[in-house]
Amino acid sequence: MRKRLVLMPRQNIPFWLNAVSLATGVGLGLTFATALLLTTGVDIEGIINEFILYSFTSQRGLAQTVTKATAFLLVGLGSAVALKLRFWNIGIDGQVWLGAIAAAGVAIHDIGDPSSRLVIMAIAAIIAGSIWVGIPVVLKLKLGVNEVISTLMLSYVAFLIAQHLLYGDWRDPSTSFPVSSGFDVETERLKRIGFGHAHSGIWLALAAALIVSYLMLVNRFGFYLTAIGINPKGAKAAGLPVSIVIVVAVLIAGGLCGFAGFTIVAGQEYRLTQYVVHGYTFSAILIAFLARFNPIAVIPISFIVAGLFTAGDTLKTFYQLPLSLILVVEALILGTVVAVEFLARYKVSLVLKRTHQPSAPVDHNLSGKSNQVVP
Amino acid sequence: MSDVALSLQDISKSFDGQSALKRASFELRWGELHALLGENGAGKSTLMNVVCGLYTADDGRVVINGEEVSITSPADASSYGIGMVHQHFKLIGPFSVAENLMLSCSRKLGLKSIAEVGRLASETAQMLGFNIDISARTDSLSVAERQRIEIIKLTLLGANIMILDEPTAVLTDDESLIVLSLLQDMADQGRAVVLITHRLREVTQYADRVTVMRAGETILAGATAKTMNRGHLAEAMVGKSVSLDMAEELPKENPHAATRLELRNLSLSRGSGATVINQLNLKVRSGEILGVAGVGGNGQTELTEAIIGLEDKLTGQVLIDGKDVTNLSIGRRRQVGLRLVPADRFAYALLAEFRAYENLALTDVPGNRYGKSWRLSRERMKQNAKQVFLERRITGGKPTTRTRLLSGGNAQKLLLARELNQDASVLVAHSPTRGLDVRAYQAVHESVVGAARNGAACLLISEDLDEVLRLATRIAVISRGEIHGPFSTSEIDRSRIGELMAGHA
Repeated sequence: MRKRLVLMPRQNIPFWLNAVSLATGVGLGLTFATALLLTTGVDIEGIINEFILYSFTSQRGLAQTVTKATAFLLVGLGSAVALKLRFWNIGIDGQVWLGAIAAAGVAIHDIGDPSSRLVIMAIAAIIAGSIWVGIPVVLKLKLGVNEVISTLMLSYVAFLIAQHLLYGDWRDPSTSFPVSSGFDVETERLKRIGFGHAHSGIWLALAAALIVSYLMLVNRFGFYLTAIGINPKGAKAAGLPVSIVIVVAVLIAGGLCGFAGFTIVAGQEYRLTQYVVHGYTFSAILIAFLARFNPIAVIPISFIVAGLFTAGDTLKTFYQLPLSLILVVEALILGTVVAVEFLARYKVSLVLKRTHQPSAPVDHNLSGKSNQVVP
Repeated sequence: MSDVALSLQDISKSFDGQSALKRASFELRWGELHALLGENGAGKSTLMNVVCGLYTADDGRVVINGEEVSITSPADASSYGIGMVHQHFKLIGPFSVAENLMLSCSRKLGLKSIAEVGRLASETAQMLGFNIDISARTDSLSVAERQRIEIIKLTLLGANIMILDEPTAVLTDDESLIVLSLLQDMADQGRAVVLITHRLREVTQYADRVTVMRAGETILAGATAKTMNRGHLAEAMVGKSVSLDMAEELPKENPHAATRLELRNLSLSRGSGATVINQLNLKVRSGEILGVAGVGGNGQTELTEAIIGLEDKLTGQVLIDGKDVTNLSIGRRRQVGLRLVPADRFAYALLAEFRAYENLALTDVPGNRYGKSWRLSRERMKQNAKQVFLERRITGGKPTTRTRLLSGGNAQKLLLARELNQDASVLVAHSPTRGLDVRAYQAVHESVVGAARNGAACLLISEDLDEVLRLATRIAVISRGEIHGPFSTSEIDRSRIGELMAGHA
């Protein structure tokens, strides 16, 4: 007797199994991440201190987490909307860049009345983000261009535009660094909310989360979105306005990312630099995946991911570790979550395999003499 | 040596707690053509997949030539001389016949040149009684020809126990005849052949013995097929006597009824320049069922898509109740009462991952039946679904069950409940009973007749000639994208339709 592993797809996955699988995936990912950090010289006490105590319980750390969570919440929502449609937007960084560039452009060129400057900056950022994802969605619907390629490539283009501006017309004449001049203190910056560096962008992001939740969970739009995500041709044959819903949803996703760019330059950096956007694409996809594309779940999860980055900042300062280590931690978590999910979808069982000897040799004669076929 | 080639004893198999086979048994002798008959989901294919190593049985014995064996992979099965032709052929389209055979048989035949494999294949074909062009691309061959390639493949692999899963499902009458006689010949040559089918006619005319399965159990084992009464076979399949009479009277031809669906000069070409539909004109009247017979792949799918609005590279016009809908969206066409029951439910009509109540509501959401756009009422959807489940006797699930978990028949009932409500003006049914069992078949037919009696114009596009002959008030034939007819049912008979289907116009 030999034993053999057999995989069988489950007909129906109960809720508790999904929950257990998600928890196990995150737990395993954190375990691997801890092991990785231990090899880089951070001791276990340090990990607990930075990742849990500092990021989520200390006043200063929590303020940093909230500040970072603003943009993560917005890109996480954008990613959830697009992924619900199975639109693989992996150029979120590009859309955040465009939002940041547009907002900075309005501020630098003093466009519009100073009293409504912030509103104009926000609207410009939303439109710019939408346009940047609008190109791939039109290419996909009209010419069948795969959005994975087009969104990713446009992300590089966006960064090059930012560099072009920062080394050119927009460079602050008072410095030799490639940064734009600072935004006006009174009219072009989001107000602090009296909690570290946290700014009023967090309220805007939460409001956006409520609006997206309404659209996806209560409004008819969410029903269409889910249907199209399952099977676009089936949804079309049922008479749903498929193309319009895809375009609108993807533009909303891009707009949210552009808006995130606005909150970064107007709430944190107060100017455009080469470093305002980094690693949002991956974080957004992680957040959307962990939230199972549910916009309400995106809220707590983006705070947790922001906490990881807060810890990353302190690790950078105290242990001289690169911030990209946090991206590795994220990758470990996403990887283990997806891997464990496989075990929720399939049932693994051990079966006994009987050993056997092949029976009497089978006649493979091809000549077609009937009496030779049957032994 | 035993004259029993294969004996399956008390085979049980369950999938994630759902029992598919319950102590099923089957006995196959050398030199016979043995029909395995049963409704969809009766376990025929599951049982044969156990034999050919795709599934491993939970319990039971597999005995080949008198020796108990364990088959845990297709390679095991092949080593015992077992081969299966699946419903979906496993050929690679752009490859030639010889290349496909080389690919599948290289382990058996060893390293050989293409020419040599081709020679072997031609010899095998001649021995089986037909000719093949071994250099033809397999995607240029007809379904029947591809089937023969699969049979050659099995022979080259040394299979002397051959299992064919519904080999005639997509063939014309003439082609079916050829395949079935080929299977008889192979049995006469001493092989053991299993024919999985749900067509009673094939069983009584061609098979030597028959085994009937129902709900995972063997109901009738190894009875002599030629002497069986079809009524008894049908009864064994479904458990109780089913009348194949219609509850409702079939609609009669009425030349004075108003035209509800009109197709004018419909043409469609592919990017490659191939004409798929050619200058097609057709009028369907209120209250009639216009049957369009034809072999699959002659433009039926494209015609269906053109009428419902999924095809945008179309020339010509589609009119519903005299109104030109050619440039209207699918949603608008649905508002004037266009309905669709397609062959492939989960590609076009139902969303597999949606819950049943969501699918039931899907097409009525745009028309505000479940609340205005700012607030969708899932409660109303669920209530409606509860009622439909009761009325249509949909079993095996609740309104909140994911649709893919419903059986084929229940999913089709769900679809009919959605598509055939009172407001249907034009119904396009494309092979609406493909893959359904006898009872669901009957339910679908009654729904189509009911729609016609309510005044809808029904276009029944079907590859199942029996279905067309049974329901249609007038019959047209589609062949290479062209329509012949329509003819009155009195003007045309089965053999004439067969000729037109085969393209001998």
